[in-house]
Amino acid sequence: MSEIRITRRAALAGAGSAAMLALSSRLALAQEKRLRMFWWGSKERADRTYKANELYTARNASTKIDGETLGWTDYWPRVATQAAGRNLADVLQMDYRYIFEYARRGALMPLDQFMGKALDIADFGAPSIDCGKVDGKLYGINLGNNSVAMLTNVSAFEAAGLKAPKTGIDWKEFSALCGELTKAAKKDGFYGSMDAGGLEPNLETWLRQRGKGLYSDEGQVAFSADDMGEWFAMWDAMRKAKACVPADVQALDKQNIETNPLTLGKAAVAFAHSNQLVGYQAVNPNKLAIDMYPTIGAGGKPGQYLKPSMLFSIAANSKNAEEAAKIINFYVKDPEGVKAVGVERGVPASPAARNVVAADLDELGKAMVNYIGMISDKIGPLPAPPPKGAGEIAFLLKKTNEEVGFGKATAAEAGKKFHADALAIIARG
Amino acid sequence: MTDAAHHAPVSVTAPPDNPGLPTPLWQRVLIHGVLIAASFVMLYPLLWMFASSLKPEHEIFSNPSIWPKSADFGAYVRGWFGLRYSFGTFFWNSAVIAVLAVIGNVLSCSLAAYAFTRLKFAGRDFWFAMMLGTLMMPHHVVLIPQYVLFLNIGWVDTILPLVVPKFLAVDAFFIFLMVQFFRGIPRELDEAAAMDGCGPWRIYWRIMLPLSLPVLATAAIFTFIWTWDDFFAPLIYLNDMGSYTAQLGLRAFVDSSGKSDWGALFAMSVLTLLPVFVVFLFFQRLLIDGIATTGMKR
Amino acid sequence: MATAVGTAVPLERGVRRRLALGRNLPGYMFLAPWLAGFLLLTLGPTVVSLWLSFTNFDLIGDPRWVGAANYVRIATADEKFWTSMKVTFLYVVLAVPFKLTFALLVAMALNKGISGLTVYRAIFYLPSLLGASVAIAVLWRNLFAGDGLVNQLLFWAFGLKGPSWVSDPDYALYTLVILSIWQFGSPMIIFLAGLRQIPQDMYEAASLDGAGPTRQFFKITLPLLTPVVFFNAVVQTIEAFKAFTPAFIVSEGTGGPVDSTLFYTLYLYQEAFAFLRMGYASALAWILVVIIAFFTAFSFLTAKYWVHYDD
Repeated sequence: MSEIRITRRAALAGAGSAAMLALSSRLALAQEKRLRMFWWGSKERADRTYKANELYTARNASTKIDGETLGWTDYWPRVATQAAGRNLADVLQMDYRYIFEYARRGALMPLDQFMGKALDIADFGAPSIDCGKVDGKLYGINLGNNSVAMLTNVSAFEAAGLKAPKTGIDWKEFSALCGELTKAAKKDGFYGSMDAGGLEPNLETWLRQRGKGLYSDEGQVAFSADDMGEWFAMWDAMRKAKACVPADVQALDKQNIETNPLTLGKAAVAFAHSNQLVGYQAVNPNKLAIDMYPTIGAGGKPGQYLKPSMLFSIAANSKNAEEAAKIINFYVKDPEGVKAVGVERGVPASPAARNVVAADLDELGKAMVNYIGMISDKIGPLPAPPPKGAGEIAFLLKKTNEEVGFGKATAAEAGKKFHADALAIIARG
Repeated sequence: MTDAAHHAPVSVTAPPDNPGLPTPLWQRVLIHGVLIAASFVMLYPLLWMFASSLKPEHEIFSNPSIWPKSADFGAYVRGWFGLRYSFGTFFWNSAVIAVLAVIGNVLSCSLAAYAFTRLKFAGRDFWFAMMLGTLMMPHHVVLIPQYVLFLNIGWVDTILPLVVPKFLAVDAFFIFLMVQFFRGIPRELDEAAAMDGCGPWRIYWRIMLPLSLPVLATAAIFTFIWTWDDFFAPLIYLNDMGSYTAQLGLRAFVDSSGKSDWGALFAMSVLTLLPVFVVFLFFQRLLIDGIATTGMKR
Repeated sequence: MATAVGTAVPLERGVRRRLALGRNLPGYMFLAPWLAGFLLLTLGPTVVSLWLSFTNFDLIGDPRWVGAANYVRIATADEKFWTSMKVTFLYVVLAVPFKLTFALLVAMALNKGISGLTVYRAIFYLPSLLGASVAIAVLWRNLFAGDGLVNQLLFWAFGLKGPSWVSDPDYALYTLVILSIWQFGSPMIIFLAGLRQIPQDMYEAASLDGAGPTRQFFKITLPLLTPVVFFNAVVQTIEAFKAFTPAFIVSEGTGGPVDSTLFYTLYLYQEAFAFLRMGYASALAWILVVIIAFFTAFSFLTAKYWVHYDD
């Protein structure tokens, strides 16, 4: 630590030349292994991550870990820039969507060589290991599982004399129930549910319940124009029945916690991910319940699945890959590391690690762990990796749902257009 | 140089604070009423930010009022000491970068502006057009090549990429600004000085700079504020948290994939505004008094 | 004869060169820092980005030359390009004149002797300090949402029920125009500095000649301020063409609702960093540069008819 302090101060004083910097950092390298770790997250995650790194370096005195952290929006431009310069952090947090983009372009290191050695994760079980694989090679280590979840302000329903929606409810019942709440609550500008017609995870869950999905194994669009027409029509009907918020209220939602209609007190139901329960609860005065998404009723297939809420990867340019793998292992398997990290990144994939964190869970942590346990026999397999262009299609979904909501297209037209546009985006790559 | 100063018109003075007849009372009340109402609209976000820093977390977004039901200053402590480094570190980092940027910009941009306005040389118009051209480039696309360049000379993760360019006048905005102001300074002044045997350096230093204090102050204010508020360049070039600027520090409190500390974010946002506000108050004096104190006292 | 000419010419050339050097040297010495920055830091990356606009660079892999393919696609098959052009032009046309007029008016008002001037001036600059922070996003929602202050006032005053201005695709862009006008601090300060540079004795002389305030404004203030007006107009236009952050207030950078706030640079940024198509984004950037350059050149050509310089 001391070397870098001196260097930094020298640089700040304006006296440090590039040569001095290079020299002193080379001196530092000679004595110890310096690694960089980069993750997105909030202050809570930063606290836990720094704590874990301290515990690790206390045990491995010759290793130093420089922590770098930012929120999600700022994280990706920096990762992209660093990838372009082949200067990625040794250990970096990856998202299930982006890991394919980065692995296929050669920015990440395959980790199979460390399996059974530095990485002792066999007890994850195949699904929780394979979710980090791209084209048959392991590029990311699951930091915790999550799944999509419906978060409900139960007291709003109870105050209106209604029963809050629970796991197992189907979309029809859900829509009717939310419509009733809007009527019964009699609060201007308050509705049963948010409008999730533009949310990709909702569409995916619904498509899977119908036996389809977003993308096929070959990376092609796996839904039809009719599917999409029905989807947009379902939400359009809910908007017209005032079961969900109108388009101009939903458009205030920037798809983050602080602008969600639930947080703004404009709806009683939000669709989110299970690891976001803590974040949503913190900014909501009412207690939130966590349940599964509505189903399509009898004959439907499981729509939800467990996915890694985030993964740790190692940069292809890392000079300390072995040590980086050991650090990752510390996070997912070592009782000390696992305890420090808790369930903040999702529920640990290793059963042994789950036992470790179970001991000191608070109420919300327990609710989250129980939810993951509860859904485990009601879910389907992890879908095929999304193709290039999937991110753009997620933007397109939001936009198309808005077009229907603001009356600029009918549901059927929107379905056809969305399907055609999605095909074009995939073809472009 | 004293000769040159004699040519400075004595009449170049700031308007007195209350020219003409005293305004009637009702008119003053009206003016202040309008100004105060306008001020409220301007201040509202700050008030909201301050109120939010005192509110309990679950009230921040569900209760939009700017009167917190209860006030708790805990967020200021959590924010200041909450991240791995105290916000004092981030403030220091920001201040060092901003101060160096001010010095660099004022010096280098005024040199270039002087060359463009007062000196004749081959290719002047061409270079001027090039300079303006750099204003037009969306910086997102030159970012990657620039990053690779700085990476190759070992400057990434130091403040050099944020500071050195300022000494090389890469902010064309300020050159152009100074050019426009320099052209408003009567040419007779430097012609007279030249006849007295002053070289271009002396004219630049003894006549142009003192007479253009308002625009130099403007450039200093803007450079400080924009550097302090900038997050994209530090985002790309500063990796280790110990070298984060205040704006980067703010971006480590909040994230949608977990539990954020909104109170701390707003508390530190309020504090982060204070230095720029103070700098603004201080430098705008220079801006206002600028002309009154130049040309006369030497 | 022949030899005489032969020796005379190089001599003359040497003298001329020395003379030229003497004439050009001071200029280049003053220009040296900028020139160094331009040649070492700016020019290289700019040329690289021009080259990248002819490749399929995806940030991580090696760029592959694709000829004019990016430009061809932009011109023929990119709906979003035209959408974002429309959004950006509308924004430039509305935001720039209003913002400048407003900034000039406030600067003139604040140039008068009013007690507490320093405080007002600082407060009026505040919105420009806040950039695109969460606080401004919340303020805009509280003002312009369906149940926001503006609609409450409309209802109270006229019994009208307004739409949710900030999140309606027909109006969202106009709320960003208002945001731009509200953040008038920078041009205001520059106008103020310009007003302060006008010699006071000109007003005194005009007063003695019996010129009223309106006459003084059009005969003295405005003509002497034209270099600053010109500067603000050019720079604000360029900035408005490159507007990026305001869209984060309304859409967190998605350009919604229904692409109504998809600014050109926002689209460019999405292509570059969200969809990892840096080659395509570079092509978009160069088209914008050409457009801005056209408008800037036009303003410089017309400047000689209305901008009044002392030199």
